[in-house]
Amino acid sequence: MLTEVHVPDDVAAAVRLLESGATPLGGGTSLMPLLNDYASPPTELVSLRRAGLAGIHLDGATVRIGAATTLGQVEHDPRLAILDPVVRSIASVPVRNLATVGGNLFAHQPHGDLAVALVALAARVTVVDGGTHELTVEEFVTDPRGLVTEVAFTQPADGSFKYLKAARRRFNSASIVTVAAVIGESAVRVALGGVGNQIIRAHAVEAALAGQPLTDETVPAAAEAGLSELAPVDDAYASAWYRTRVFPVHLRRALLGH
Amino acid sequence: MTVTIVNLKVNGVDQAFMARPGTTLLLALREQLGLTGAKRGCAQGACGSCTVLLDGAPVVSCLVPATTVDGADIATVEGLADGQQLSDVQQAFLDGFATQCGFCTPGMLMSAEALLARNPDPTADEVNEAISGNVCRCTGYAPIVSAILDAAERRRNRVEATH
Amino acid sequence: MAKINPIDPDYFKDERAAPGFKVIGTTVPRSDALGHVTGRTEFFEDRTFPNLAHLKIHRSPHHHALIDSVDTSHAEQTPGVLRVLTYKDVPANWYGVLRLIGIGPDDEPVLAEDRVIYKGEPIVAVVADSEAAALEGASRVRVSYTELPAVLDVEEAMSPDAPIIKRAGTNYFVYEGHHSRRIRFGDVEAGFARADHVFDWRYSSAPIEHAPTETTGCIVVPQSNGRLLIHSNTQAAFFTLDNTALIINRAPTDLQVKGGTVGGGFGGKVDVMVEPLACIAATLTNRPVKFVYTREEEMQVSSPRAAERIYIKDGVLSDGRIVARKIMLYVDAGAYARHSPYGATKAAAHLPGPYTIPNVHADCHCVYTNRTPSSAMRGFGVTIADFAIESQMDRIARALDLDPLEFRLRNAYRDGDLKAHRKVASGTALIEVIQRAAELVGHELPEEYRAMSSTTPRGAQA
Repeated sequence: MLTEVHVPDDVAAAVRLLESGATPLGGGTSLMPLLNDYASPPTELVSLRRAGLAGIHLDGATVRIGAATTLGQVEHDPRLAILDPVVRSIASVPVRNLATVGGNLFAHQPHGDLAVALVALAARVTVVDGGTHELTVEEFVTDPRGLVTEVAFTQPADGSFKYLKAARRRFNSASIVTVAAVIGESAVRVALGGVGNQIIRAHAVEAALAGQPLTDETVPAAAEAGLSELAPVDDAYASAWYRTRVFPVHLRRALLGH
Repeated sequence: MTVTIVNLKVNGVDQAFMARPGTTLLLALREQLGLTGAKRGCAQGACGSCTVLLDGAPVVSCLVPATTVDGADIATVEGLADGQQLSDVQQAFLDGFATQCGFCTPGMLMSAEALLARNPDPTADEVNEAISGNVCRCTGYAPIVSAILDAAERRRNRVEATH
Repeated sequence: MAKINPIDPDYFKDERAAPGFKVIGTTVPRSDALGHVTGRTEFFEDRTFPNLAHLKIHRSPHHHALIDSVDTSHAEQTPGVLRVLTYKDVPANWYGVLRLIGIGPDDEPVLAEDRVIYKGEPIVAVVADSEAAALEGASRVRVSYTELPAVLDVEEAMSPDAPIIKRAGTNYFVYEGHHSRRIRFGDVEAGFARADHVFDWRYSSAPIEHAPTETTGCIVVPQSNGRLLIHSNTQAAFFTLDNTALIINRAPTDLQVKGGTVGGGFGGKVDVMVEPLACIAATLTNRPVKFVYTREEEMQVSSPRAAERIYIKDGVLSDGRIVARKIMLYVDAGAYARHSPYGATKAAAHLPGPYTIPNVHADCHCVYTNRTPSSAMRGFGVTIADFAIESQMDRIARALDLDPLEFRLRNAYRDGDLKAHRKVASGTALIEVIQRAAELVGHELPEEYRAMSSTTPRGAQA
């Protein structure tokens, strides 16, 4: 049962409340459904809505996004055009106007498509958890904890970021396969969603594509190499078998556009 | 358990009410302010029947603890009409038979109003995306999309007529 | 603006009294649309009452189990809880909604007694002064069980060695002494013997949830004169009133149902699921009581469309005439009858589809399993049978290299034909609908088929 909702005005106050055992509330899109309909132990929430954690800052190629920035704010910021297809593939408009960038790092697969993209972008996350740490999103999402204050990444070269989410419907559905990739001249980074309990960094796909042009030969071969890294599960959206079966198709579509 | 006084501007009118921690914006509007247009369809953020505008942006009000939005500007279906004069979106839904049971209609209208405020000339595909969070189970999506496109045209014509 | 489909005046000219219609083909505003677009339409939950209490249910986690004990003491001690209800608080606990039209036996308890036979079956109701307290109280009910083997498949349930899950002694509804609703017309075995081809195929469907945007619910308000005012989103107000009166053992005149505004129903709001317990709770607490399903309850325990399994065996002559059709149809009623005995009867009434077949044999079974009870949904009994029949028609046409529309026209029923259940067909129009549909999609039909008419009696050769 919800016993208290705190709305602190700054991070320090939020941290104090969290240290006393309260639960952080970002957009509430994961937590509130549980609290609305199910019995729960006495719960105090700390809303991050007014804690000064929202905002998008660009400094040259460096992008910093406050944790309480909503997916809707990302969607409507023309400076973040590369994330537009990512956030628009997530949930629906009235959910995106609540859901936050920081909260997405805590979403359980097959949700959390923004986090998939951030892993591909080699983004870093600032976390307050008994002190302030910075670590990669890739490390963070394996065991998310603490108060996220910001994510940051370097804008990739034009045209080098690839993203595709396959779902049962075109809008507002969880991932069957999500592919996010940065295809650089020197390095390739590929992250996958929907094909495991965790976001998967597709090292075998990266290795197969390193130094190669993207062609109708190299991409299917990389997909073949990547199959061993998938750990899909059955859920209401798709079977593990189906996810595996269509992964090469969606990797091809993500990287080659056809 | 603390009870908090929450101030909101709802459909242009300043309102104050007492909220328990578990009072969502949806329940506050419905039970404290008597604005029952927004509906509780799932309490999970999945059906969109509770969609209202929070500082101009459509949100599922069932997932918002009321105390976290103290001071906000809220628009609900009750504020769309000007007396007897329906908004273009309302009138287009009425004329285009875009309602059946009516339960999704208030949320659908708010999503449509938000879309047209941002994008006065949307494509059908953009309408689909804008209402992708609003479930209609009488499956009247086709007339709903047509009505929103029709409303966009009415609004554009009205703007042209006043210039 | 509203799209108006043009009226096609070409067919059945002789049957039209006068040209033109007053309503068809014109735009008539919906009487309720202004309320819908202004948010003023009043659904049951749009009414607020001071001192409103809330009711939540503790449900079975097992498909099939004996209840060894129920401990409600922790629920009763939960802050805010006003009352905890078990089957002992329900005056006439066993019911069957169709008893109002003479169909029995009463096979379902409002609250489970010594056993549960589906996952989600209600056992205890908790009434509290807030929704959160009711949820908390319901979560604190402790029930101990002895699990029993579950039967989850219709044909398995019908097999002689299946555990009997129903107290009436059979895992199927008994139709006037028979194990199924039957059709016997002509001699189906003689028909198969005469046929050039025999096709025997199996069709099956999953349960389908109506998923109305407004979940099932009601608010019951005790009146100063002792009556109970039930604000409900039922699709069947009087049916609900009479069944509720029987369950709570009150005169029907003690109850008033205010309804008719339904946020999506599709047949899913004709069972009487929330009103009896809310009435009992309102009476015992003397407070208005709301009982509304959560979305999860709506998905898990509201009756879906039944899963069906259908075997169709057809005997067909080389010229495309169907001379025999045998159907074995199983409706998965789930744990309790609700409207399913009627659904299986409707299925039988619909067979063998809109075709004139001289020899028909059908057994339509209403089978009980340890699954969520199914019930009414848009054309229940008919929709899935049609899926099977029309799939069968397409497959036969393909197997015999016949045009699927010509194959249907060859067998289509006509006015004056005797149907398998001894009704004379009238107003059939199937032939004309197929002809017009073929024309609209540019599907060329030979002259012989274009000349057919549903009002021309079937010739000896047809």
